[in-house]
Amino acid sequence: MPARMDAGAAIEVQGLTKRYGSHVAVDSVSFSVRRGEAFGILGPNGAGKTTTLEMIEGLRKPDAGEITVLGERVWPDPRRIQARIGVQLQTTSLFDMLTAKELLELFARFYLQTDAAGRAARALAQVGLDAKGGDYAKNLSGGQQQRLAIALALVHDPEIVFLDEPTTGLDPQARRNLWDVIRSINQEHGKTVVLTTHYLEEAEVLCERVAIMDESRIVALDTPAGLIAALDADARVSYTDSAGDHAVYVRDAQATVLDVLEAAREKGETVQNLAVKGADLEDVFLSLTGREYRE
Amino acid sequence: MSLNFGRLLATTVAQLRMTFRRRITLFWSLVFPMILMTLLGLLFGRSVNAGDLVVARPVTAAAPRAMVTALEHTKGLTVKTSPDAATAVKKVKDGDEDAALVFVRTSDGSYAARLYTSNTSATQAGILKGIVFGAADRVSIAATGSPPALQFQALSVDSSSLDYIDFLLPGIVALSIMISAVIGLATVLVDWRQRGILRRLKLTPIPLAEFFAARIAASLVVAVMQVVVLLAFGRIVFGIHISSTAWAGIPVALAGCLCFLAMGFAIGSTVSNPETGDAVSNVVTNPMMFLSGVFFPVAAMPSFVQVIARVLPLYYLANGLRDTTVRGLSLTHVAGDIGVLLAATAVLAAVSLRTFRWEPRT
Repeated sequence: MPARMDAGAAIEVQGLTKRYGSHVAVDSVSFSVRRGEAFGILGPNGAGKTTTLEMIEGLRKPDAGEITVLGERVWPDPRRIQARIGVQLQTTSLFDMLTAKELLELFARFYLQTDAAGRAARALAQVGLDAKGGDYAKNLSGGQQQRLAIALALVHDPEIVFLDEPTTGLDPQARRNLWDVIRSINQEHGKTVVLTTHYLEEAEVLCERVAIMDESRIVALDTPAGLIAALDADARVSYTDSAGDHAVYVRDAQATVLDVLEAAREKGETVQNLAVKGADLEDVFLSLTGREYRE
Repeated sequence: MSLNFGRLLATTVAQLRMTFRRRITLFWSLVFPMILMTLLGLLFGRSVNAGDLVVARPVTAAAPRAMVTALEHTKGLTVKTSPDAATAVKKVKDGDEDAALVFVRTSDGSYAARLYTSNTSATQAGILKGIVFGAADRVSIAATGSPPALQFQALSVDSSSLDYIDFLLPGIVALSIMISAVIGLATVLVDWRQRGILRRLKLTPIPLAEFFAARIAASLVVAVMQVVVLLAFGRIVFGIHISSTAWAGIPVALAGCLCFLAMGFAIGSTVSNPETGDAVSNVVTNPMMFLSGVFFPVAAMPSFVQVIARVLPLYYLANGLRDTTVRGLSLTHVAGDIGVLLAATAVLAAVSLRTFRWEPRT
């Protein structure tokens, strides 16, 4: 953790804490996000991801801690910074009786932008909804509604885009399509992207750095490759024998498999369900928390 | 963050789009009042005989005479005379006539008009009471003017506006403004909050006050439209008499709309889900509908109802609209009604601002 705030950071969070009664929803969370970075907060439901994000967005007031976004303190007056960020909330529903294009134009107007129609058209194109501009939001599919919510976060050309569980509830194909959209927002349009997810694969695929959150705290923060490297194992070998199920993390999967098979032959028993899997974030979570990850 | 006129306008247009695209809103604001008007018009309209009224002689003083003249000009009402009060009342008792009107000289020199109606038909008694009280009202208005005789002449020409449908129409307009404003804002506000739309708005720079100003502006446009369309409907279908002062009904309608929007806002700020919002709106608006003199004159109701009516905003909206659109009274005459409506708006708005929440209750 840097002792001083980084002037070039998009987001700087120090000791962020939020309590609801006796329950601590977010416990002394600190991290920073670089400009132009794709940053992920990964964790199971109830880990405190959304609360963390909503405090940074200025929707929930922290009980303790400092948040600086684009060099400005978010609290106590979050309205100033809110004009420079774009937010897709976890549950976004919109005015039913407006078309996608009308909604985008209205939001562009909220930000006092000129050329609302042009901005709406560009935002629709950015999320690949060009053909759906005339449809009412309620008639769009789940994936299309999420794209519209992201377009609404982009329409005023913000510097940072916050996406709260953007692909939750989508089918695998829609999820992959949305990944392309998010990647292009970050890479082609140069926006800093902060997203939360409980999908391990999503964090691994989309994020340059990932903060793993569990039970209100950040338990690890690094690049996906760095997190896996810290496991000190390349692979997970799992199998079942007369003694039950086993899973071991190893550097040399080949030697381990041979050892397991050799030992079984000496005892004259059969090994079942033998599997070798390259280590991923699921294994990182298991090794950090001692619990299996459940999406 | 300050108010921006261009943004306010764009937001108002968006609100109007949402309003007009929702069929159920259009139904309650325009179609339902038309249906109600048609049904009641067919049941109690001008073609229907209001009944027979027997007036006890002698009628000598100017005011009672003027009143009888007004009644004789009322369509659907047959006015007869009888030699004295006792005979007149007996005819009602025997069921020969529907109502008897007796003038009694009071100690201060003025006249009291006593109306005896049969209790066998409450509806007909209500209509007759309405007509006679209306006529009495008219005469007392005339009495406040400078030359009573001339003043009454002008009014008696207009006396056919005592027809039930003429009485009813402004009340229905008032009713539809109330329903659109209260139910419209209460359920919409709860829905926006529960679905997280208010939270999403909070993230954008538009101030809450400006956003709701746009909503209010859109509702006021709808209210004006209701006045114009429903009066036109009444004129074309029932041939009601729209007076030359009808334009003064617009400020009355706007004040009434503001008052009921504030009521809807107060309900929407207090309840937590759309179903409760609907229920509370109905609980608040339904009694008002029957106690505010929309369907029958408040003057024809029991005295305790008359007391209740005077604390209900709908009473002032219906009265103000009736006075301006069909009775030919000026804006100055209804300034009191507008004042009451605006005062109620201020109180209700203050209440809702105290209870307003951005977030759903957790």
